Amino acid sequence: MITSIAHSTIYVLDQDEALDFYKNKLGFEVGDDMKVEGGFRWLTVYPKSKSQLQLVLAEPKEGPMFTKDSAEKIRSLIEEGAFGAGVFETENCQKTYEELVAKGVEFIQPPTNQLYGVEAMGIDNSGNWFSLVQRKK
Amino acid sequence: MSILYLDQEIFFMATNYKFKRLNAGRDYIADNYQAPLSLSDIAKYSNMSPYHFLRVFKDIYGETPNEFLIRLRVEQAKKMLITENFSVSEICEKVGYTSLGSFSSLFLKQVGVAPTLYRRRLWALSTEAYRFPSQAIPACYAYHFLGKLAN
Repeated sequence: MITSIAHSTIYVLDQDEALDFYKNKLGFEVGDDMKVEGGFRWLTVYPKSKSQLQLVLAEPKEGPMFTKDSAEKIRSLIEEGAFGAGVFETENCQKTYEELVAKGVEFIQPPTNQLYGVEAMGIDNSGNWFSLVQRKK
Repeated sequence: MSILYLDQEIFFMATNYKFKRLNAGRDYIADNYQAPLSLSDIAKYSNMSPYHFLRVFKDIYGETPNEFLIRLRVEQAKKMLITENFSVSEICEKVGYTSLGSFSSLFLKQVGVAPTLYRRRLWALSTEAYRFPSQAIPACYAYHFLGKLAN
């Protein structure tokens, strides 16, 4: 039986800039940040709450996983907004939305009532969209 | 030679002998800390009863034989966590513990962080690249980004 999700990847254009965004704008904590032999930087972030899930901020680079061509394709798809970082939960969508807007986070949809709660939709500084959801209790 | 001087000489010889015996026990711990050690085993090397050995050891060195043993093991584990490509359970065994749980909680108590976190923190601070990805990052990431399988 699988009990929880430990890591999930978000592809970003630049790890330094993504770290600045997730840490200083969204207020995430840094889990790991270490250089690994082979030129890979292992960088993870997670929300300040007791989240089990750490988000791995990775750059699509030529290597075992991507060819040069596919890494470039991924980069342009990120910029286009073809990928999502997932759903981030909040106790108060309106309040968090306002805090994030004040910090300069770009939103493509303000807090809106949905069947499951209140949801706003923003994009990170790479172009990945994310939902900010206050679940209906 | 005055009587007083002779007394002192005898006193020093006796003390010196006591130190030598005590040191033999301490050296035995230092040489064998990777093995399971019991207090009575160690005390034998000092020709003392376990209780007497414990008391004298604590008096002289300021820590009990067991505290000394733990200190050696934890220091060695810290070194290995940073420089060696061993898993935490392998390191646990190499420094003389049979239970990973008790080693981890002991390490946590002594160092303030769990062994894995200690390793990660130290490596995160290091300017050198992490040489053993399988010790720090999930194998799927090592495989996909570095082309390395876990060893």
